[in-house]
Amino acid sequence: MANSAKVSRRVLLQGAGVSMTLPWLQSLPVWGEEPTNGIEAPEFPKRFCVLFMACGVNPDHWWAKPNAEGPNHPMELGKSLAPLEPLTSKLNVINGLFNKNATGVGIHPGQTGNILSGASLKKGAELGGSISVDQLLANRLGSETIQSSLVLGCEQPVTGYHETNFSMAYSSHISWQNATSPVPMEVYPALAFDSLFENRGARRNQSVLDRVGGHASELRRKASLDDRRKLDEYLSSVRDVEQRIEQQRKAQEKAKARVDGNPYAMASMPRPDNGLPEDIRDHMRLMCDIVALAFQTDKTRIATLLLCRDISGLFYPFLDARNAHHSASHNDRSDEFERISRYYCSQFAYLASKLDGMQEGEGTVLDHSCIMFINNMWSGSAHNSQKVPLMTAGGLNGQLKTGRVLDFEQRPDGERKLCSLYMSLMNRMGVNVEKFGDADFPLMDL
Amino acid sequence: MQACVESVSDLHFGSALTSRSYVFLLAWICGFITAESVNAEDSFESSIRPFLKYHCIECHSGTAPEGKLDLTAFENRQSLSIGFSVWKEIEQRVATGNMPPKEASSHPSEDDRRAFTHLVRSTRRDEAVRLAGDPGIVMVRRLSNAEYNNTLRDLTGIDLRPAREFPVDPANEAGFDNSGESLAMSPALLTKYLAAAREISNHLILTPSGIAFAPHPVVTDTDRDKYCVQRIVDFYDKQPTDIADYLHAAWKARIAVTSGKGVSLETIAINHRISLRYLTSIFAVLNNPDSESTKNGPLAEVRQRWLDLPNQDESAVRRECESLRNFIVAVRSQLEPKFNMKLKGIHDGAQAFVLWKNRQSASHRRSFLSETLKAIPYDKLPSDIAIALMTPSDDDLRTEFHRDLELFCNLFPDAFFVAERGRDYLGVPKEKQEKGRLLSAGFHSMMGYFRDDQPLCEQILNDNELLELNQLWQELDFVTAAPIRQYQGFLWFERTDHNFLRDAEFDFARPENKDAISAEMVKRLSDLYLEKAKRMSATSDHLQAITDFFHDIDKQIRWVEQSRIHAQKINLDAIERFVVRAYRGGLTSSQLNEIKQYYTSLREIDKLSHEEAIQDLLVCVLMSPEFCYRVDLSLQSAERRPLTDLELANRLSYFLWSSMPDERLLAKASSGRLREPSVLAGEVDRMIRDDRVRGLAIEFGSQWLDFQRFLEHNSVDRLRFPQFTDSLRDSMYQEPIRFLVDLIQQNRSVLSCIDAKHAFVNAELAKHYGIVTEDSRDSSEWQKVSELPNSQRGGLLPMAVFMTQNAPGLRTSPVKRGYWVVRRLLGEHIPPPPPGVPELPVDEARLGDLTLRQTLEKHRQHESCAVCHDRFDSIGLAFESYGPIGEHRIHDLGEKPIDNSAVFPNGNAGNGVDGLREYLLKCRQSDFIENLCRKLLAFALGRTLRLSDDLLIEKMREDLIAEEHRFDAMVKAIVLAPQFLEKRGTNEKETKDGE
Repeated sequence: MANSAKVSRRVLLQGAGVSMTLPWLQSLPVWGEEPTNGIEAPEFPKRFCVLFMACGVNPDHWWAKPNAEGPNHPMELGKSLAPLEPLTSKLNVINGLFNKNATGVGIHPGQTGNILSGASLKKGAELGGSISVDQLLANRLGSETIQSSLVLGCEQPVTGYHETNFSMAYSSHISWQNATSPVPMEVYPALAFDSLFENRGARRNQSVLDRVGGHASELRRKASLDDRRKLDEYLSSVRDVEQRIEQQRKAQEKAKARVDGNPYAMASMPRPDNGLPEDIRDHMRLMCDIVALAFQTDKTRIATLLLCRDISGLFYPFLDARNAHHSASHNDRSDEFERISRYYCSQFAYLASKLDGMQEGEGTVLDHSCIMFINNMWSGSAHNSQKVPLMTAGGLNGQLKTGRVLDFEQRPDGERKLCSLYMSLMNRMGVNVEKFGDADFPLMDL
Repeated sequence: MQACVESVSDLHFGSALTSRSYVFLLAWICGFITAESVNAEDSFESSIRPFLKYHCIECHSGTAPEGKLDLTAFENRQSLSIGFSVWKEIEQRVATGNMPPKEASSHPSEDDRRAFTHLVRSTRRDEAVRLAGDPGIVMVRRLSNAEYNNTLRDLTGIDLRPAREFPVDPANEAGFDNSGESLAMSPALLTKYLAAAREISNHLILTPSGIAFAPHPVVTDTDRDKYCVQRIVDFYDKQPTDIADYLHAAWKARIAVTSGKGVSLETIAINHRISLRYLTSIFAVLNNPDSESTKNGPLAEVRQRWLDLPNQDESAVRRECESLRNFIVAVRSQLEPKFNMKLKGIHDGAQAFVLWKNRQSASHRRSFLSETLKAIPYDKLPSDIAIALMTPSDDDLRTEFHRDLELFCNLFPDAFFVAERGRDYLGVPKEKQEKGRLLSAGFHSMMGYFRDDQPLCEQILNDNELLELNQLWQELDFVTAAPIRQYQGFLWFERTDHNFLRDAEFDFARPENKDAISAEMVKRLSDLYLEKAKRMSATSDHLQAITDFFHDIDKQIRWVEQSRIHAQKINLDAIERFVVRAYRGGLTSSQLNEIKQYYTSLREIDKLSHEEAIQDLLVCVLMSPEFCYRVDLSLQSAERRPLTDLELANRLSYFLWSSMPDERLLAKASSGRLREPSVLAGEVDRMIRDDRVRGLAIEFGSQWLDFQRFLEHNSVDRLRFPQFTDSLRDSMYQEPIRFLVDLIQQNRSVLSCIDAKHAFVNAELAKHYGIVTEDSRDSSEWQKVSELPNSQRGGLLPMAVFMTQNAPGLRTSPVKRGYWVVRRLLGEHIPPPPPGVPELPVDEARLGDLTLRQTLEKHRQHESCAVCHDRFDSIGLAFESYGPIGEHRIHDLGEKPIDNSAVFPNGNAGNGVDGLREYLLKCRQSDFIENLCRKLLAFALGRTLRLSDDLLIEKMREDLIAEEHRFDAMVKAIVLAPQFLEKRGTNEKETKDGE
């Protein structure tokens, strides 16, 4: 085993200052067989992202309605949704959906830990819920990308018990890998960034294989001819797997070389600084940038970003807000909380616009994605989860019609389930499920 | 006439295997030609070869030889020793007149026939003697999937079975998946090994004393909490804290003393499974009339009632002890002191005050505080409790009453430990508090644990138990970083949800700030916090509580930080010990150094964290050939060498446990005495009684008897047999394993496979069999039924698993069932059926006028069919009383009455499975035993048998007969044989041909 190969690999393990990588389309030739011009383009990957805000919105200013002048005119938006005005044609505002299991169980954690699963949550020390929609998608689709999903947050998770006797872990985690464990959430932008571009897990495996391979070669030298045959089988398997990892890395480098001198084709982003950003505005923007970059370069197709956790302690001095998030939400009709609500909406608008600015074929990355904004309550003062604020942006490569205001509020409970929406979205992403959470059928009229 | 034959898929499968094996054998034959034994060669040339030429080769040659047997390949004497199993078959077929077939063009005379068979037999025998004891080639090989699972289980203590995701291991010629001949490695499989190793590393926990593995993945804080909290709660749950048990045991002690029996308190404590320490205290107080005992108060009452316990009638005593316990608990709960601390401006559920309150409660669990008497709601209590707590008005009596209460409270704490706590600070009674908050400190919204078990530690636990509990609590802080998280929660809560820290002066103490937990910042915050509290007119108690809080949490945080640094070396040492075990003795000191170097390079060059580096070390170990292979390397030549002691230990444990050697076996190996026959036999005795011998029952049993894949068996029509659930299928699968584990552990006669009068059933299987079992609380529990009501069950033959697997769904299959018996139990080789035989209907209700029996009879009228079917159809017909899922029946699905009579291959007649048992025991016992010996030997050696093993087989048979057929006779014959104790390499010729 050449020492130089070892060294170069190890240098990469430490993380580079800037990572550059190719957008999905441009990177294709080096990943698969080299295609020639004129061959039909492969289907664009469909991506799904959830942005989560907690403790409700200002209900007076959080609305959208169809334009009175007809369906060809852009929808009208309330004050808090104003940041989305440039995007109305790619937007759906969906009103009236809810999780039955998040009602009648007490406030906060019981309304949050199941927002993406619809599960009935367990009280007390032992956690119990169900796999969330993003992780189900990640399990089915994630093997095609370097990371099966990104699970990010802008506020540290907490545990402990809420007065409802639900664990506070439910307030901190919306993404669950199974009934008992949440997905570890990355709050450090630098580490989230590294997970995409260094592919640390694969490199650690490469290092392990390198070592066991070298070690087995020594053993082989001592072995008789018979035994060598069996050890060779092992050694060649080790080398084969090692090479596959190596090939991926080479492919990336090759991609980089292809566009040298053509820098505008590159997606690039400086590596964020270590540690947590001091300013929450920087934190949220960096996390949105990472999701956008990950989608554009097809490092992952599934992401959740917890902008704040439930019972959040975030402060917004730049919004002239004196109270922390949770306290402010108890006065949810205030101007202060309107500003906070609008600020969160602007994060959604930021990510959507960013994706919409990324050309991909004839359309944009946003056109091939569905990003969903969701909140665990309608009203923070009433702690009401009979319906939740929800919007989507992006058309999932033509699978999801946009520019609509959909209202399910007057429908019977069975026809306005969040889990039905999740089923619809999963189906449109090519993951067919018979049932999910408390839903047996997809959302009608989506 | 229409020939109606079953096309039995596994017959065809068998043929495919056999034909492959011929090719394999031929490859070997060429390698074994030597110049010796010219005379024998002459007889081969003069007698055997002409016989083959005239009578056999016409059909058995060419591109499509009959029975896929090409006899032109056998052209010299050595071919008899290499293709010995084929030659055995040839010899038997010729001897019985079965071959050449009647329609053949030429037939040998009887003399020719006798001469031929005699010659074949004696030549084989000569060869067997000449080669006896050859260890053969046993290649380096990876662990089979089952061995891999079991080894990981024994290594880590958790049963993850990651190989469930691996492809199924192929079997070798002998039918077992544990040989280098069949166990290959591929990149796809290696990727799965890597994923499995990573999965295991997700279960790794670094502890202050080493490493541990959790039964669930530990990647988030909640996972770590779950692991540590559960261990403490489990520890509490198993403590003997029921006072009734102590009163009862103390009574026993009193009786022993008065009756003059010398029974010690220690013995009584052990018998009652209670704490000697606490029993001693209770006995001293209750049974000591002249101590400073009080005459007035609850303790006096308890003592009197205890002294009044009758000397006989233990069940009455027990009832009275329980009632006395209830009295104690009821009285005691009224005397529990209440503490609370509040200050306007600080949240009631804030950490400093809640912890103060918890500390007060925890340290007063054995104290009597007279103010508690004032709060007793006498009018709401049952009268006996109220009376017991009534303070006498007389001054002297009152003093004595208080002294009694002190002693009472001291002996009986209000709780031995508190395993869960809701928001106690709200002042609601315990029964109305939130449930399930295990070990919680009881803060508002914030996480935090609180240890409250002083009485348990002071009164119940012995020194070792106390040490264990202390370690568990240390582990909780260490593993979950609880103090750090608790402090971060404090910063979040008091800054946002509560607003104590909202002032600008506290801005530095934000939970996002990594430095906020530093000693310096904690001190700074403590000072500012106290200043503000003073401004809010806090009392000295308040200020002390706040001071204590900051002091304690700082100390705890520092402990976590420092002990985590300190533990790094301990963790690394633990990984080294882990590697020694994982390599099963095959670790050299230079390898050990390499491991340390690798750790250093992971830390220093790759910049991994300590935990990541340890994880990668672990993955490395689990990926290395020393772990996932059996690497007892052979020599470069055909020379034999004894296995080293460690190699022998491994061979033994993978034979008997399908898993790694345990510490004791390795110690025996290290002592260098394992090879001594008595030591080796002693280890066999120990190991076959160990629970891990289940590995042998499953791996050997399920492959020998062909039910390894039964859990995937899906050809039962569940609409017609709704009782056939996944769970019943699982029970059917378990039955032979239970049976064999018992046979092995109890060292029963191997003949009990055929004639056992007992069976093992759980509730589900008992119902399926119509067996009435003793009531058992747990329906999944297995029990041995010795007194079977009739002979329908007992032994392997009528087990539902075999009946079901060898039936196509809506009818039985006498062909398959009979074939299973002769092939699996008796070791017969049956060639495949000719192509193009029509299928029988799948449903026996659609057979028309004929029964299945008659249909098969018709089929056997064809001579070419009869050649084979005569050998097993009748055996299968004896099972006709068992339906398609092994249920007992008297009518078939076509409503025709069952006829289970049979005329067995030797002409004997019998009825049902009883008749079959008799036939097998009387006429086929030696076939059964020989086959079992061959199978077990092939499994033990991990290779296909050779002619050189014939003498060992003979010895195994002789030993079995001499030892009343006890199982261990076979095992001991194997492990003491040179085949097991030695190994060799290939000679040049073999190697060349093999490559």
